[in-house]
Amino acid sequence: MEKGGSGMENSRKRLIARYAVDRGEHFEIVTRYDTETTRERADRQEPRAPSLMPRYPAANWFERKIADDFGIRFEGAYDFRPLLHHERWPVGNHPMRKDFDVHRVLEFSEYRPYKYEAVGGDGVFEVAVGPIHAGIIEPGHFHFSQAGEEMLHQEVRHFYKYRGIEKMLEGKSLAEAAPIVARISGNESVATQIALARISAQVEKKDLSEALQARWGILLELERIAHHWTDLGFIPNDAGFGAALAFASARAEETRRQLRDLTGHRFAFDALMREPRPWDREELIRWCRHMSQEAKWFEEWITDIPSLWDRMDTTGILTSGNALRYGCVGVVARASSVELDVRSEEPFYRERGFEPKQESSGDVAARFKVRLMELKHSLELIETFAKEASSEGFAFTETGEGAFESFVESSLGELYMAIELVGGKISRFFVRDPSFINWQALHLMMPGNIIADFPLINKSCDLSYAGNDL
Amino acid sequence: MLRYWQRRFKTGILTEKPEFDARMKELRKRLKKGIAKHFAGSLAIRMVDSGSCNACEAECNALSNPYYDLERLGIRFVASPRHADVMLLSGVLTFNMLPHVLDAWEQIPEPKWCITLGDCPAMQAPFTRTFAIQAPAAEHLPVAHHIPGCPPSPNTIIEGLLEFLETLQNGKQGTGN
Ligand code: SF4
Repeated sequence: MEKGGSGMENSRKRLIARYAVDRGEHFEIVTRYDTETTRERADRQEPRAPSLMPRYPAANWFERKIADDFGIRFEGAYDFRPLLHHERWPVGNHPMRKDFDVHRVLEFSEYRPYKYEAVGGDGVFEVAVGPIHAGIIEPGHFHFSQAGEEMLHQEVRHFYKYRGIEKMLEGKSLAEAAPIVARISGNESVATQIALARISAQVEKKDLSEALQARWGILLELERIAHHWTDLGFIPNDAGFGAALAFASARAEETRRQLRDLTGHRFAFDALMREPRPWDREELIRWCRHMSQEAKWFEEWITDIPSLWDRMDTTGILTSGNALRYGCVGVVARASSVELDVRSEEPFYRERGFEPKQESSGDVAARFKVRLMELKHSLELIETFAKEASSEGFAFTETGEGAFESFVESSLGELYMAIELVGGKISRFFVRDPSFINWQALHLMMPGNIIADFPLINKSCDLSYAGNDL
Repeated sequence: MLRYWQRRFKTGILTEKPEFDARMKELRKRLKKGIAKHFAGSLAIRMVDSGSCNACEAECNALSNPYYDLERLGIRFVASPRHADVMLLSGVLTFNMLPHVLDAWEQIPEPKWCITLGDCPAMQAPFTRTFAIQAPAAEHLPVAHHIPGCPPSPNTIIEGLLEFLETLQNGKQGTGN
């Protein structure tokens, strides 16, 4: 299947994902580009493969993850530091190998310091933040090289939340995996459930009815609205404008309640497989119209606060060249003129008037504006979907054989899932959260900005830790 | 800005559940000495995510939205463990987070209490245990109270915290290491 490309730099393939599979005698490294999938072999005794890092900077985390998961060495790579395996990890354990027991009890080993990327020079100092941050926020580490207030460089270090989910799901059927998959990342539960359901439908060679797609579309867009409202509140809040958070967080709450009314759960966990609740089409449409009014009011209000735009304009710029080089996805890409939205490729969305939203300045302001435009558009889409949506349930399959993949545009961007099934059970589960790519590009937005703007820039990208760390 | 104030007057106050205020008032009365001694009239919570899906955090953040407005109950989320009375722990306690969680716990001055939030730390969420998971939390920390749910809704969290205060009133002491 051909995926949406970059639009601009057509000669270059976009790297979507790279992961490995244990094939017994050897390891296979699978690389998914937008235009093709390639497979390489790595010998089991001395597993090696050529690195893509020099050509694709975002190959960095993929390859370091494969190195930790399988013990494969990438030749020509410029970064060999462990990624998932932190200071106290017992060296030599590669959990994604088939002979590693998922229940193995690991002992904490000697502390081995991690060597952070840092800029040297007179008067340059380092600031280490995390893994536990000041607010109510997921754990991760940010390492800054500073010249006074100004950020010279920043390294993102994650995987504190690494739960071993890929391995956890092996040996389970899709039906058994579904409740876990719904909880990989609470921010994108609906999107991840849909990705799994699309694979389940492929396994059973079932066409998804338009009525069912409409129902899922409603939930997916509500998830996006809840998420975008939260960001539209927190971004101004990080610039010192708290009133926006008070307003937007109330709208996010109302959206969660709408999800609860439709699915019985505020985050729509397990919503796809649950018997849908009776719902009132007209009521949902009225709700959308009301929420659109709120969005309009918010837009007029916020557009009128010059001191806020002063903080957001030209802050944390991601050039479109950099966005393409890293293969960025989601709002982050679209705010830097990269035309990429999975929904643009789905006939169901296209036929119902879907239009991707874009900005070109690549700064915090652009990401803010894209979110607001998307939120308003999602409300229009829900109104359309509501007219066709059914109350059908969906049953995940217990069977299946072969390799499958799916794409969904989550509120954070393109979500990619690949699953191999043997005798109805998962033998390899892989999911690439949109954040896994975007986190790697975050440091490009820092140089020239002051450290006080980091929270603002970070929030404008709104990336997931849980989905990234697995 | 004028638009904002017009709107503000029209909307009024969204905060619900006035019974919480009443209950808290009553509770405050009953806790008089205990709370005054331990918490100086306000309970400071350090939230620590040890490997959640982030929905538990989202619900804690929701506690500050105008519908719940938790701070009016005298309960605050603080930035440093050194300012905290309570560690509110979410997530499955990953292998990579456990040392940091224990670190944060050490930093909280005594008396202190550990409350687990959501099904994850009790290993009651759908996740099955792996090499990378160290939950249940009670194997590593003296858990004083548990707030169940996946995730617990903002109302459930508020009720859970009040329940915890009630157990204090019944004489349960803070735990050290
Ligand atoms: S208890 Fe449920 S909602 Fe909370 S972090 Fe765990 S999976 Fe997420």
